Amino acid sequence: MSDIKARVSFLGKSANILIWLLLIGACAFVVTPLLFMFSASFMPAIDIMKLPYPWVSDHIHRQNYWNGLRGPDGSFVFLRNTLNSLIVALAVTITTVLLSSLSGYGLAKFRFKGRNAVFMLIMATMMIPFETIMIPLYMVSMKMGLQDSYAGLIVPFLTNAFGVFLMRQFLLTFPDEVLDAARIDGASEPRIFTHIVLPNSGPAIATLAILTFRSQWDNLLWPLLVVQSDEMKTIPLYITKFMAETHSDEGIMMAVAAMASLPMFILFFTMSKYFISTEGLHSTIKG
Amino acid sequence: MQYNKRFSMEQKKAVWGWIFVAPSLLFFLVFSFYPIFNAIYMSFFKKNLLSLKPPEFVGWGNYVYLFHSKTFWQSVSNTAVFTIGTFIPLVVFSLMLAVFIVSRPRFQKFFQMALYSPAALSSVVAALIWLLIFDPRGLANQTLNTLMRTSGVNYHWLSSSSMLRLSTIIVYFWKYVGYFTVVFVAGIGGIPDYLHEAALIDGADSWKDFWHITFPLLKPTTLLVSVMVMIQCLKTFSTQYLFSTSGAPTRPIDVITLSIYNTAIKDHNIGRASAMSVLLFLVMLILTWLQLRIAKTEDVTYN
Repeated sequence: MSDIKARVSFLGKSANILIWLLLIGACAFVVTPLLFMFSASFMPAIDIMKLPYPWVSDHIHRQNYWNGLRGPDGSFVFLRNTLNSLIVALAVTITTVLLSSLSGYGLAKFRFKGRNAVFMLIMATMMIPFETIMIPLYMVSMKMGLQDSYAGLIVPFLTNAFGVFLMRQFLLTFPDEVLDAARIDGASEPRIFTHIVLPNSGPAIATLAILTFRSQWDNLLWPLLVVQSDEMKTIPLYITKFMAETHSDEGIMMAVAAMASLPMFILFFTMSKYFISTEGLHSTIKG
Repeated sequence: MQYNKRFSMEQKKAVWGWIFVAPSLLFFLVFSFYPIFNAIYMSFFKKNLLSLKPPEFVGWGNYVYLFHSKTFWQSVSNTAVFTIGTFIPLVVFSLMLAVFIVSRPRFQKFFQMALYSPAALSSVVAALIWLLIFDPRGLANQTLNTLMRTSGVNYHWLSSSSMLRLSTIIVYFWKYVGYFTVVFVAGIGGIPDYLHEAALIDGADSWKDFWHITFPLLKPTTLLVSVMVMIQCLKTFSTQYLFSTSGAPTRPIDVITLSIYNTAIKDHNIGRASAMSVLLFLVMLILTWLQLRIAKTEDVTYN
């Protein structure tokens, strides 16, 4: 951002200092709990409950992580649950990107009877939040025997209206000449989609992929409904159960929390461009 | 070639358009429209989750029950308290922080990353961390004792009902304040420089610049963010669920989604849960419609 917004100078020194204090205070408020998580994850439980909180313990308690991985019953089910979360989040991300760009492309670049009606219909589903349809979906999934399966976890999220909207908006600006040139060269429509449209939609796909992955990684409500067995649990469910069972050892709890956050933190620090700059107004419409 | 003669290029393209759109359309019909109509339908029936008896038609019975139910109104008011208590500070602080961050261009990236980082956590992890912070021996009491110059006072973050409500609000505020700050920074970035330059030449100081340039042009963004936050808050579930399963009293934080979940899964009362879903849906419908309208007018350019 250019300097001009900074040059519109502030109300003198005292206001300037106040603003710095506020910014630093806000950062401290936001970052402290994260630091607490990391700090406590290396502590024996007795140290965490010391007054005042010591922040750095005399003995680094690395076994919290090992014990967190092993789980209270030594079954390493945490690893299995992490794998479940990855499988579900990746599968949903892939289908969402594919289906959204496919229909986004259809809506943006093809003229056909009923196109506007289809677009409006898809946009209307934005008004149907998942929380209001979870009960019927749950009943259907029970009837179809999707309980406790990957299919049950994945199918209700194959695509979403926001994804279609995002891809359509992006592809509206895609140059028609390129598509027509490919058609004249004899490329079939599916081939144009896979070889020209998809490879040139990088930024929009990255934004959509990250948003989708994150919301699935975070999903608690639906897995809570469809999953019964410990093996099929995803990470949010594992943590929920873990909390109820070993409420005593805070150190292990924080180690599990830190391990569960690792994938998102890696994604956040390597792809922060797509988290921060492109996540403008429209990408957050999904809510 | 035969094919080409019978179908023009345009007609062929129309067919392909339908083919591309069809999978998503089918998905939305089955997994969005069918369930919402089903929820509306089921809200007029009495149906037990586990019994094999066919649903029994009760007309407006479920709705009448809800309107007379103290628990239902309690959860409506819990949701309202949470939504209002969260969205006002969230919007005010994220707007303020965004304006301040933009005025510090050298540190903008750093502040954005730092403030945004909790949004990368899952809400379950967030609730878990704060559960320890709100522990009677945790950081929350220690900090408040230092600030208030008291010693050893327990503020009952997780046991007194008003503090418990405040606690869920704090968790939510903490997780999303950076997220919406970034949204506002994007909005401020969209205001062209020459408007600020013009104000500067006209002798405006930063205060005037904010009130006469930045704020009016951010109004659509602010409205949009407000509605977005409201919609999100109405759907809040994870924090309340985790706090209540780990021993905090449920009643003060029994928000509407938690109530729907418990009615269906614990009480097995599908009809009543559906009626609650439909009422939530109606509120969301109004808010989303508002959001889409604002989003439309938001597309203004600043020329």
